[in-house]
Amino acid sequence: MESQAGNGPRRATGADPVWARAWRELIYALVTPLMAVIGLVYAVVVALSVVSSAGVVGLPLLALGVPAARGLGAANRRLARALAGVRVADPAPFRSGPGLADRLVAALSDLPGWRAVIHGLVRLPAAVLAFAVAAGLWGGGLALLGCPLWWRSAALPVLSSYGWPGAVPTSAVGAVLLLAAPWGVHLALAPERLLARTLLGPPPGETRTRRLERARAMAVDGAATELRRIERDLHDGTAARLVTLAMRLGMALEELEHADRPERPARARTLVEDAHRDAKETLVELRDLIRGIHPPALGEGLETALTTLAARSPVPVRFDADLPERPAPAIEAIAYFCAAELLANVAKHSGARRAVLGVRASDGLLTLLVRDDGDGGAAMDAGSGLRGLAGRVAPVDGTIDVHSPPGGPTVVTVELPLHV
Amino acid sequence: MRIVIAEDAAVLRDGLRMLLTSRGHEVAAAVGDGEALEAAVAEHRPDVAVVDVRMPPSHTDEGLRAALRIRRAHPGLGVLVFSQYIETRYAARLLADGAHGVGYLLKERVADVGDFLSALDRIAAGQTVLDPEVVTQIMGAGHRAEALAALTPREREVLSLMAEGRSNNAIAAALFLSYGSVEKHVAQIFTKLGLSPSDGDHRRVLAVLRYLQG
Repeated sequence: MESQAGNGPRRATGADPVWARAWRELIYALVTPLMAVIGLVYAVVVALSVVSSAGVVGLPLLALGVPAARGLGAANRRLARALAGVRVADPAPFRSGPGLADRLVAALSDLPGWRAVIHGLVRLPAAVLAFAVAAGLWGGGLALLGCPLWWRSAALPVLSSYGWPGAVPTSAVGAVLLLAAPWGVHLALAPERLLARTLLGPPPGETRTRRLERARAMAVDGAATELRRIERDLHDGTAARLVTLAMRLGMALEELEHADRPERPARARTLVEDAHRDAKETLVELRDLIRGIHPPALGEGLETALTTLAARSPVPVRFDADLPERPAPAIEAIAYFCAAELLANVAKHSGARRAVLGVRASDGLLTLLVRDDGDGGAAMDAGSGLRGLAGRVAPVDGTIDVHSPPGGPTVVTVELPLHV
Repeated sequence: MRIVIAEDAAVLRDGLRMLLTSRGHEVAAAVGDGEALEAAVAEHRPDVAVVDVRMPPSHTDEGLRAALRIRRAHPGLGVLVFSQYIETRYAARLLADGAHGVGYLLKERVADVGDFLSALDRIAAGQTVLDPEVVTQIMGAGHRAEALAALTPREREVLSLMAEGRSNNAIAAALFLSYGSVEKHVAQIFTKLGLSPSDGDHRRVLAVLRYLQG
């Protein structure tokens, strides 16, 4: 029997009662010829417009017909999803430019539309097969099972000539057919499922395009978030400190203007000392901020930068590096920020006593690993730093894997290509 | 005077408290967000509240909204809104309920300690203090020029000083004019902006508002 794993709307446990699936698939098998006929008629209409599209009427008709086939495809997809347990993603929505010519071109080259039309053209045999098997097993089974009720009638003289000894085994055959029906129908639906999966989902290639589109959106969001963070750091940190510094110097100036009184110069001195301290603290903050924008240590290579990062962590970090090949600068920057964010998480949230930072380059992949002995329970929730990291690595086809059971330990693995 | 401070950056909050205390003012409370400000004002009944615009949780215009609320709840309370940036829209919102005892200054003005303290005094006395930057921005905004096009350059200077909350005397001193000619300019401004004498003392404020809203 065909394995259903991966294509059915299975509960996590896979404990879908057989009879529930049987009912759904029976309904599907009975409805499907109707949908197939509708699809065939539609496909024929579209085909006719192709034939006549040399004329003025055919082309616009075709341009309307192809994208509209998406509606049929969507109905079939929903039906297959709900009743036949086929999980297919929706194709990207129809898009076209504003002009009439743009619309025409977009409509005529609309891949999901064409695929829905083809689905309508080729599905009839599969639908008939499913219907026949369903009708035969369920209908025939029921009929035979109930034969003691009707064998006396004149419908089947052969049967009635055997009398009860003939009717009972016939009834038993009916029961067997009914018991076999759920599996039989499921099997007979295999071609239907195959067609739905190949023709009703997004066309091949679109999946990667969409993934990249999503990654791009995340990258743009990430950049905006990053700018906001920098702006906030400048505003709440550096600017506030500079205002305070200027205020202290202003107060010192006022004291010096009245330097005739003996206590004034002393007060001015205190104020200048405070301002001096403010200036130095502002410089430290500014340095941290600059490091957050682009770590200068990266100029020396990822290993040096990560060594510094590990040494700065308040939680003791063991650092292992195996970098025979230097990654592209963009990859180094992403890896560095991932490491910085992950170590910051360790220090802030994990309650860990020690951590390991590992980085390795092999087979064209840069693998970054951060492990800590903390409380675990880290998750890729919306708004979490980990989600932000996913946004950072996605544009270069990187992946991030978080393993953090409650009670720990937490292991986060980031994989990036060595070169973009 | 008795003052309440709302500023989320601790360094600046402490700095302000030190400055004001050293000049003999009483800092009744120094808080870090809008809600705490409302509570502190209700509790301490200060003469003036010094309010940062950008505070948690939203880090947008929290402080401004809190400032508008405490002004409504406590008529006669002086409010100095101060901020890293000047937004003329904020100024307009702040003045929409009337300009009595309102100020809007850049934070960096605190560096000129004397000016800052005198601005606070003026606000406590019910006057209006606007940052020169507000004035510059409005002057720079082309579309606003239309409403003010009728004014001569000298009248605009006078108006921008009015917007900073200066009295006729102070304007005369700043522009090296006689008191009488300042009075004449002010009267001309009122006429050109269509503010009739029946608007009374409020005309000064209305002129500034007209000026802010273009």
